[in-house]
Amino acid sequence: MTIVEVRKRDGLARIATFQADEKTIHLPAVIETGELFHSLSHSRMENVPLGAGPAFVAQYLPKGHLIPAWIHPSGDLTLPPGMAVMVPCWHTALAHPRKYVEWLAAMKTALPPDTAWYAPAAALPSNAAILSYSGFDIFDFTAVDLRSSQGIFCLPEGEFPRGTMEGGACDCPGCRVGDLKAHNRDRLIREIALARQFIAAQRLRDLVESRCRMDAAQVAILRNLDRTCGFFEKAVPVARQGTLLATTGEVLQRPEVTRFSERVVSRYRPPAADVAVLLPCSARKPYSLSQSHRKFRQAIAGRASELIVTSPLGLVPRELELVYPAAHYNVPVTGYWDAEEREFTGGIIAAFLEKHRFKRVIAHLEGGALAAAEKGAALAGVELEITCRGRPLSQESLALLDSALSGERKVRHDVIRGTSSWQFGLAIDTRNLVVKGRYPWIRAFRGRTPFFSIDEATGLLRPTFEGWNLIPEGYRVTIDEFVPTGDVLAPGVVDADPRIREGDEVLVTGPCAIATGRAAMPACEMLRSGRGVAVRVRKVKTLPRT
Amino acid sequence: MFPERESDRPLAAWAGRDRIEGQVMSALTIILKTGGCAHDRCRMCSYRHERYNRLTHGELEAGLRAQLAWIENNFTLEDFDAVKIYTSGSLFDPLEVPVQARDALAKMMRGKIVIAETRPEYVTVDHLNQFVTLIDNGTHETPLFVAIGVETSNDTIREKCIDKGFSWDDFVKATEIARSAGAGVKAYLLAKPLFLTEREAIDDMISSIRDLSGTADMISLNPCTVQRNTELEYYWKQGAYRPPYLWSILTILSESPVHLTCDPLGGGQERGPHNCGVCDGPLVKGIRDYSLSADRELLSALLAIPCACKEEWDFVLREERSYCMPLTR
Repeated sequence: MTIVEVRKRDGLARIATFQADEKTIHLPAVIETGELFHSLSHSRMENVPLGAGPAFVAQYLPKGHLIPAWIHPSGDLTLPPGMAVMVPCWHTALAHPRKYVEWLAAMKTALPPDTAWYAPAAALPSNAAILSYSGFDIFDFTAVDLRSSQGIFCLPEGEFPRGTMEGGACDCPGCRVGDLKAHNRDRLIREIALARQFIAAQRLRDLVESRCRMDAAQVAILRNLDRTCGFFEKAVPVARQGTLLATTGEVLQRPEVTRFSERVVSRYRPPAADVAVLLPCSARKPYSLSQSHRKFRQAIAGRASELIVTSPLGLVPRELELVYPAAHYNVPVTGYWDAEEREFTGGIIAAFLEKHRFKRVIAHLEGGALAAAEKGAALAGVELEITCRGRPLSQESLALLDSALSGERKVRHDVIRGTSSWQFGLAIDTRNLVVKGRYPWIRAFRGRTPFFSIDEATGLLRPTFEGWNLIPEGYRVTIDEFVPTGDVLAPGVVDADPRIREGDEVLVTGPCAIATGRAAMPACEMLRSGRGVAVRVRKVKTLPRT
Repeated sequence: MFPERESDRPLAAWAGRDRIEGQVMSALTIILKTGGCAHDRCRMCSYRHERYNRLTHGELEAGLRAQLAWIENNFTLEDFDAVKIYTSGSLFDPLEVPVQARDALAKMMRGKIVIAETRPEYVTVDHLNQFVTLIDNGTHETPLFVAIGVETSNDTIREKCIDKGFSWDDFVKATEIARSAGAGVKAYLLAKPLFLTEREAIDDMISSIRDLSGTADMISLNPCTVQRNTELEYYWKQGAYRPPYLWSILTILSESPVHLTCDPLGGGQERGPHNCGVCDGPLVKGIRDYSLSADRELLSALLAIPCACKEEWDFVLREERSYCMPLTR
């Protein structure tokens, strides 16, 4: 009997524990294969390459309740939760990025999430981060020891000739005595420890984006993962802690980014307005607390729907400026927009303007943002009025913006309604709600009853039971016949809205109780996990027996 | 695919020197284009694609006779003590090589030692007797050797890694039939087919050689190469296969109690048996020399050549496992 307990997730990567007999291993980990997996010591003539077809796999892949269980992309993938699995020869997949992602998706979508994944002979200091990012938890020393036998010096930046060791690039105990094997092992252990830190901070993506630069295949794996529809996105939380670093080209395809813009176009419902103003972004987040936006807002004076044009998010409606990652991204500001950014942003603007037909669209923009807006407007067949003369903040530009809006009606930017449409796909009726508090620390009440608060860390709405009454459907987690005491665990979940991602606000409903809380895993994991917290419960209400 | 060759020529024919039953002699090697291997499934074999397609029996016979004529016109047959005949299949399969054409070939080679390739299921007393009668003029004690690609004595490996379609017992029976017809037996072994670690491949060869003692008169060791349009090539392109190290081939040759002939085709290249690229050249040449000279000291000297890749090979032998292979390319 083995147990896998996932303690922390970051995409497919996890911090977890694996228990076998009396041994507990903290994952991700580097192990001595024979010590943890005794069965592998006796493995003889059992090779089944990753590219083998189903018939061959069925005939030759070792079966049965082995520790670890051998799994294969074309094999039988029905396993109970809590197992350690091994993907034989995964090290050969690293050179084949398209296959890597195809095979990974086939296996990851089929196996229970609380499974520990062993990638034999694969891990090097240079690829440990992306292996972990791909959802592997257990590694060994085979690959680094092989490099040692080849006289290769391993660093997170790649593999180098032994002579590099004398260059002072590393000062580990191994390097001090010229012990290549000790150095290579040490580096691997340290890289795994570093990856663990980044997982804990939910920032492994940043480490991977930085590490993968030295290896084209790794970049390809990263990009293919982002583009493998639906598979990877499900593992990505709706909001993370901390900053989203928009410092690479890959960021445009990052699930958090594509999800945000996709929802802006498909879910978000703008306030009733005749005029839309496109504004530049600001370094300070949320935008409205910046100097520049104070001035823009003064000039606009509530007479238009405000939309901020920005890379990499495309378009951020004013009411969503608190929502992750709109208030959380950090992009290097040079004023220069590359062709892909313009294309991407232009496409989002076009889709938005096609869906929401404003009488007038004003572009208070310059440079690349203006070029992107013009591209989008042209695609949507909308004529832009440009109110910038020189810099957007010049007296002349601000005066032009003001006068362009003269006589236009007031627009009510409603953060609660706007956010609910983005978050739950449903624009709630807020007419009877009163918003209190100092922005962005706001809460919505009816009378003295709280309905919603904004989580200042993520910008997401936190509905109370009364708040959920205004959201008649969706984001429900159905539980069995029990009253949760504390958090709801995965085995207790009967059903869950497939749209739920980690970090989403959910309403737990069951025959005995309802509860408000936050999803600790995506819906698909709630339904397939044998263990682990599915929903972190905030409040429970016991239902009267009927 | 291979370029289409003229049908009236053999696929290849060349003159060389071979070690046959302990004697170095001049030998003609001929690869005939035939109706093709009836089994046509081995995972590493691309010869099976080389065949006349959709020919009638008569047309096939005519094509083969034309090839024989070409050989007569291009070689002085008196110069050769021996001839090795490959068909990319089985010389003794009457559907692949019409009997009349085979008889014509036998008459042409009368007085020489003939080594003829075949699968065991076509080794019959009648066919062999007929052939031996035609080639034998009393010059040689054993004028015919049937050459069978048994590849390994391990049935599991032969089935899983090669898909050869016959068993060790089938092979042994064929050798008994051959002997009763007065023919000798040459066995081909395949060093490192698919799905074996470097260590498993060496062990497989060592035990196969042991099992062949007393059964085969001659053993030829074929280090596996990656031929085009094969299942092996598919896996090789995915990084799932590495041809054997030359160090492993040398180890097998040196641990074998009997002399093995060995021509490391593609030696030193990424598709053939290779080491690191630095030491390959002299080792490939050395193996060819040994094949002819059977000089054991040469083997020891080759194995003692120092090279940085030896440590890597050593590591691979120790650490490569079914679930993490190949460790190197």
